[in-house]
Amino acid sequence: MPPQVHNATAHSDIVVELQDVHKVFRQRQRSSRLSETIRHMFKPRIREVRALQGVSMQIRRGEIVAYAGPNGAGKSTTIKLLSGLLAPNAGRVRALGFDPINERVQYVKRIGVVFGQRSELWYDHPVAASYEWKRVVWDIPQDRFARTQKRLIEVLGLEEFFHSLARELSLGQRMRAELGLALLHEPELLFLDEPTIGLDVLSKRMMLDFVKELNRKQQVTVMITSHDMAELEQLAGRMVMIDHGKVAFDGPFEQLRQTMSDGRRLIIETSDETAPSLEGAELIESQARRHEYRFDASQIKIVDLLNQAAKQTSIIDVETVRAPIDEVIANIYQSWRKPKEVLELEEAL
Amino acid sequence: MAAKLNSVWRTLKRIWQLWLFYAKLDLLLLISDVRLALIYFSSELLTSIGSVIGLLLLAQRFDGIGTWTLNHLYVLLGYSTLVLGILNTFFNYNLSLISRRIGRGQLDHVLVQPQPLWMIFITEGFAPLSGLMGLIPGILLFAWGLIGLGVSLDLGWWALLVLNLFASGTIMMSFNYIWGSLAFVAPRSSEEISSSASRLLDQLKVYPLDGLGGLLLGSLMTVAPVGLVAWYPVRALLGLNSSAWSIWITPLAALFMLGIALFCFLKGLGYYATTGSQRYSSLGHRS
Repeated sequence: MPPQVHNATAHSDIVVELQDVHKVFRQRQRSSRLSETIRHMFKPRIREVRALQGVSMQIRRGEIVAYAGPNGAGKSTTIKLLSGLLAPNAGRVRALGFDPINERVQYVKRIGVVFGQRSELWYDHPVAASYEWKRVVWDIPQDRFARTQKRLIEVLGLEEFFHSLARELSLGQRMRAELGLALLHEPELLFLDEPTIGLDVLSKRMMLDFVKELNRKQQVTVMITSHDMAELEQLAGRMVMIDHGKVAFDGPFEQLRQTMSDGRRLIIETSDETAPSLEGAELIESQARRHEYRFDASQIKIVDLLNQAAKQTSIIDVETVRAPIDEVIANIYQSWRKPKEVLELEEAL
Repeated sequence: MAAKLNSVWRTLKRIWQLWLFYAKLDLLLLISDVRLALIYFSSELLTSIGSVIGLLLLAQRFDGIGTWTLNHLYVLLGYSTLVLGILNTFFNYNLSLISRRIGRGQLDHVLVQPQPLWMIFITEGFAPLSGLMGLIPGILLFAWGLIGLGVSLDLGWWALLVLNLFASGTIMMSFNYIWGSLAFVAPRSSEEISSSASRLLDQLKVYPLDGLGGLLLGSLMTVAPVGLVAWYPVRALLGLNSSAWSIWITPLAALFMLGIALFCFLKGLGYYATTGSQRYSSLGHRS
């Protein structure tokens, strides 16, 4: 028998590997009708929620991967599988050469996890005490700990609240402290599950810049989930999109834009207030002499639109911008919404 | 053999290191605010005294209960207070009421720590200062009773006392874990059931069970092992049982109960790995 090939080993280029992973949850269905409720007492109606349906992907060392999808698509389930909190029903999950469930203790020493909606900080103690706790429990050598802690305090701006109780921190401060805590043991692999949820623009930027820097300088592999697509585009080179438990897209952001269409915006400033009518472009806003159009650059050239406009009015200024990534993603999510009949048929099958 | 001994030594050293750290955290928490410390100590002391005061007054009024003299009862009450004090010292932060940790989604925080679960469970709840107010009244009552009885005790007896105290604590913990493991399936219900089960042992543990019918006494020694928390081990320690072997019954029962608790917990943990936290299910907590 040939030896089994294991990718995602401790020293291989591939650090995360999911092979045909399935995860199914069972959910008891309820009824608002008395007769049905009584019937379900004896014969419960169970719905199988297929959170992941044959998900396969690999993440290379040093990559930042944005993991996105609509609510309920299976993002958090994947992060839980990779953090060793859940086991798959079928398929193989390996990261850094470990099985996250069966080799939990060794594995979690080398990863960092931040759940945006949960806290690892000791609430009744100052942030400093949580960091000390991390040193003891993770058994980090004192000199390495002192060095890393000093750097994290500087870079994440923790100094002003490092000795305040965790329960007294603002959300932005808490998330910075959480990120620092997750990085104290210098993990090779970092999972960030909606780490910027509820943060203001400045805190978001600070956190994302730091993650980028960390990746660049220390080659930390990062997998991040978020609903903020602009933020993901700024941070990650690669996007994996999941929908109904299946990988729907895996590639660079640029390719993602082209998947839907090459959506652009054309903004024209004209000498009069009437917006020119342009064939192949949709007028979305017109304020005074400034008119904004939406068009697909793969279908019509900008110069043709400008020619049309020039025939109707005199143009003072022109600006073109790409459609915001949020709009691209929203269109993709919209296109994924399946008709009810299709979903019912799939479930029946 | 040497490697095995070395591994055991390293594990013990690690447990000691973690205990020291958690003791420091406990100390820091209490001394960081004098008002907090005073309120905490006062309330713990009152709770400890409150749990035995009823029986203590009855015993005073009637100069003992049944065959139990006043001094015997002091020993019994001291022992039962000590058992709870030990649990509060070693398994604080909801580690003895495990249904709360499981049901409120806190197990995930435990699972991302690079340590075996058993080690986390025996170290993370160590709070010697917080548990002190449960231990002090227990020690005083126990000592008072022993002095009153005027018995001479050797080192072996003290060793058996410590063994039985930890065995009784293990029985209480195991009972909590058996019921608490329900939280893997139904968190909210489990918290209710587990709290009631824990209260049952806690509130009845102070009573002498002599004179009860066979069925009831049998139930209170097995199904709801109230008798093993204080009454039976104290009888054995004071030589009130006819057999000298009775001193080993509580430690043996503790091993048995621990086995059942481990079985239930590990079964639940396996279920947890397939379903995740049930916190947001219809049977779970939202808060």
